[in-house]
Amino acid sequence: MIHILGIRHHGPGSAKNVMEFLEKVKPDIVLVEGPPEADPLLQWVNHAELKPPVAILVYQPEDPQQSSFYPFAEFSPEWQAIAYARKNNIHVRFMDLPIGHHIALEKEAIERVKKEEEERKAREGEQPGAAAPSVNNYSIKNNEVVEVLPIRKDPISWLAEAAGYDDGEKWWEHMFEHRHGNEQVFDAVTEAMQVLREEFAQKETHTERLREAWMRKTIRQAEKEMFQTIAVICGAWHAPALVNMPKAKDDSDLLKGLPKVKVECTWIPWTFSRLSYYSGYGAGIESPGWYDHIWRYPKDDGSRWMAKVAQLFRKKEMDTSVAHVIEAVRLAEALASMRNLYKAGLEELNEATKTVLCNGEDILMKLIHDELIVSNRIGEVPAEIPKPPLQLDIERIQKRLRLPATADWKDYTLDLRKENDLERSIFLHRLQLLEIKWGNRQDVSGKGTFKEMWRLQWDPELSINIIEKGSWGNTVAEAAEKFVIQKAKEADALSKVSTLLQETIPAELHKAVEVCIQCINNLAAASGDVIQLMEVVPGLVQASRYGSVRKTDADLVLGIVNSMLTRICVSLPTACTSVSDDAAQKLLDLFFKLNDAVNVLQQADITSLWQQTLQSIAAAGNASPMIAGYATRLLADYKLLEGDELVRVFHYSMSAGTPPDKAASWLEGFLKGSGTILLIDNDLWNLVNNWVDTLGEETFTRVLPLLRRTFASFSSPERKKLGEKVKNGGGSSGIKSSVEITIDEERAKQGIPVILQLLGIKN
Amino acid sequence: MSSLLRQHAEQLYAQELEELQKQDTGKRPTNWKLTPQSVVTYLIGGKLKNGFEVSPKYIGNKRLMEIAVATLTTDRALLLYGLPGTAKSWVSEHLSAAVSGDSTMIVQGTAGTSEEAIRYGWNYARLLAEGPSQGALVETPVMRAMKDGKIARIEELTRIGADVQDTLITILSEKTLPVPELNTEVQAVKGFNVIATANNRDKGVNELSSALKRRFNTVILPVPDSMNEEIDIVKRRVESFEKVMELPAEPPALEEIRRIVTIFRELRSGVTLDGKTKIKVPSGTLSTAEAISVVNNGLAMAAYFGDGQLKAADLAAGIIGSVIKDPVQDKLVWQEYLETVVKPRDEWKDIYRACRDLM
Repeated sequence: MIHILGIRHHGPGSAKNVMEFLEKVKPDIVLVEGPPEADPLLQWVNHAELKPPVAILVYQPEDPQQSSFYPFAEFSPEWQAIAYARKNNIHVRFMDLPIGHHIALEKEAIERVKKEEEERKAREGEQPGAAAPSVNNYSIKNNEVVEVLPIRKDPISWLAEAAGYDDGEKWWEHMFEHRHGNEQVFDAVTEAMQVLREEFAQKETHTERLREAWMRKTIRQAEKEMFQTIAVICGAWHAPALVNMPKAKDDSDLLKGLPKVKVECTWIPWTFSRLSYYSGYGAGIESPGWYDHIWRYPKDDGSRWMAKVAQLFRKKEMDTSVAHVIEAVRLAEALASMRNLYKAGLEELNEATKTVLCNGEDILMKLIHDELIVSNRIGEVPAEIPKPPLQLDIERIQKRLRLPATADWKDYTLDLRKENDLERSIFLHRLQLLEIKWGNRQDVSGKGTFKEMWRLQWDPELSINIIEKGSWGNTVAEAAEKFVIQKAKEADALSKVSTLLQETIPAELHKAVEVCIQCINNLAAASGDVIQLMEVVPGLVQASRYGSVRKTDADLVLGIVNSMLTRICVSLPTACTSVSDDAAQKLLDLFFKLNDAVNVLQQADITSLWQQTLQSIAAAGNASPMIAGYATRLLADYKLLEGDELVRVFHYSMSAGTPPDKAASWLEGFLKGSGTILLIDNDLWNLVNNWVDTLGEETFTRVLPLLRRTFASFSSPERKKLGEKVKNGGGSSGIKSSVEITIDEERAKQGIPVILQLLGIKN
Repeated sequence: MSSLLRQHAEQLYAQELEELQKQDTGKRPTNWKLTPQSVVTYLIGGKLKNGFEVSPKYIGNKRLMEIAVATLTTDRALLLYGLPGTAKSWVSEHLSAAVSGDSTMIVQGTAGTSEEAIRYGWNYARLLAEGPSQGALVETPVMRAMKDGKIARIEELTRIGADVQDTLITILSEKTLPVPELNTEVQAVKGFNVIATANNRDKGVNELSSALKRRFNTVILPVPDSMNEEIDIVKRRVESFEKVMELPAEPPALEEIRRIVTIFRELRSGVTLDGKTKIKVPSGTLSTAEAISVVNNGLAMAAYFGDGQLKAADLAAGIIGSVIKDPVQDKLVWQEYLETVVKPRDEWKDIYRACRDLM
């Protein structure tokens, strides 16, 4: 006897019906829609530590990105069927088309499409699968881009429309999920789907036919093995195809000679938010948290749900009394009876919550949606399940460092002076290097390099990344090191390796650091482009500062910085001649940063080398005027050019003989970013002031545009203060009140989430 | 046609209520004239089984009306909240007409509303002559509603002083109104409930105390979602106005209503309908109700001073009157709107000229 149970994936009502049905007919084998390759994994269901939501991950070992997930929640009918079989020690098998064939077929299809496209450009690719997502297929492909159509019309919504519902999901829920008796439900489902399939016959694709043929093949096989009572759990869409069996030969003809690739599979933890269709999951459901609730408490009249809501509100410090809960439940019941429902559903409860608890406002409903209706639960997978070694290593370290994987994000502020926090930071940096994006480095407020802030949020898809990176090594350290070394060797630009180096230093991968430095050295030696070197140095100097907290390879970095600075100083003067204005502007920024870097380094020999370079640039008549101006300024700052000498240089550069645009650029370079300094530094002020004084009226009119151009780059409060200073006769009074508007960016940032929330934008 | 200036909802729609009552087979809460479902049908409109057409009173989200009606079946009172002109009082009137067949138990909330207006007052002549007695007691609409098991309406609840508001707490939670002078009380009969309205735009309102707030379920009535919804509302209300006022003017062209609604929506949202131009927002609320009165006003102008056809010139005064509430700021806003948005629209030349002439 074969029982075909057409279900809706992740429908708690379907799960209940399946459970009751199985208890009644007591089958001796259960066949479930799913990949046959994962059959060995089924023994783990009912293991105490395998806690849904979990998913079966099927991947191709050579190319882990080619993978599919089969998610299960506790309320998934498939999960319940498997659990039932395991409990009663009967056979249970998956019966869908093996993923190995799927992947191979897809590859073929892609190649075919490519070839066809080459032949004829405008030719459509393969049609996307049939459109009954919630009853057809519950797997989700990695990186799958689900097209969000403006009107998603699956066949079920046609039925719903006929029954006077505006939403297929709601109709299904009322017709099949909320039902009490299960006697004829499955027959009714099969019949309804039969009609739909006849209407939508043209939508069936080749893959669909293959899948159903394979399902039938599995059923026949079970019959052949003399099983008496066979229960088949499949998406409702497939039920009619399994009831009306065609000839066995047709199916075996169809399935003959399918291409195949090798795949492996494992259990991975899944999250409720990935189960909801907001994440782009085709068979997704709107409210996993709510489904979980009604699965656990099928008799709940809404009181328990409302109590949960109240608890959440109280946790967020909003006064919610028991009376509120009572009133809300009453209103939900009144609404349900008005709508002729036998019980209040999520919609009624939500409306009651909004009216009674939230004073009619929508804002708090968002909270309920995130925390309760979708909820951020994450599943668990026992440690002894065979897993890729890298995954095991990561889990071990997570446990040791007490960094659990959570579905919701959590912030960690690490104090690198503490042993445990330092280890955490190293671990997170290594994952970062491996491109496993679990953690996200946040800006941290306060001074000092010993603090780090991370925001951690686990995403089930990270499992694929881990498997993918597993080829680099069996531990995080080993894999990260090899991965970095490979990347460094492949890199062709200095900036790439230097960024890599900066990321590698906090991850404490000594060998990788050495290789990076070697690569930088080689590239620097080969590179004739001084600008490239200048771009890299400030970052490296920054990295070397880590030496204070981390016992790292700072010395190594320092060595390379020194040699690079020497190279820069040698070739810089020539690089500054005959450059265009745009290039000069860029060079000026680099100068600015490089000067900072030299000051941070605090090494006498480097500093003096740098100063010499500046002198030669300032003195050389052919250097780009903007850069020459800036170099002069830096020399003045270093007190190497003072008094009359400075005045002389200034006047010389601004004299009438110099073409106006050159003079303007020079002045721009000379006063770069120093509106405030001009206010505070009286020497500089007097210099400019006296120079303006000496100008005749005609000359003044001529240079006025140049001055304007320079001063326009200062901020408006700076300009205002400068004006005031002129008015006061240039006394030193200009600085009594703080001129710059210092905005504490860190503190300002803290307010942003609140503002986003106020504006209703989710962050 | 009756000679009354404005009929109550239960008078104007007596036939609809009667038909609904006839069709009604479900269970009615005690003292309700209709079942909750029929009340919703009365508000939202629809076709009855015998083909009788019920006209829609509230155009908008049906779910909101369901929540409002469901609230009245529980022991919480209903608070309708929203901007001025979002049909709060209108819904409240029709709800009480449908539920109790009587929308006249109304207390208008003002800053001067006293406790006597809500609980009970005294006929002082009789009080002096007879001393405290039943005969000297003056019942308020609330007290009468309690005795009869009907819906009492309180308009503009938040305008009433906080101390007076709180006298409602006993009425709403204990469902009784003690009269200590006579050593008696009035206990509410089943079917009694309160519908209050309040608007969230006014400054200087008296926020409800949290004890009182807890006795109310709040339903926020939004401004109409879409252009077409709003046009529909204006059109229906204008048609009924014409009928009541017996205006000799021709019914306004849909195009004219569309223009008014467009102006109102654009100024309300601060952006043109195509989303391309930013507009300053005037200080008034520019609700749908005001759009209705602008059209009504224009119709009257056309009927008595014009040629019976609604023209831009008839509307201009009304538009300006409802947009410019603040003579300085709003005037600038309106002029800017007129010059930047109205002027470039080719088919709006007449409105532009009419408004220009009046400025």
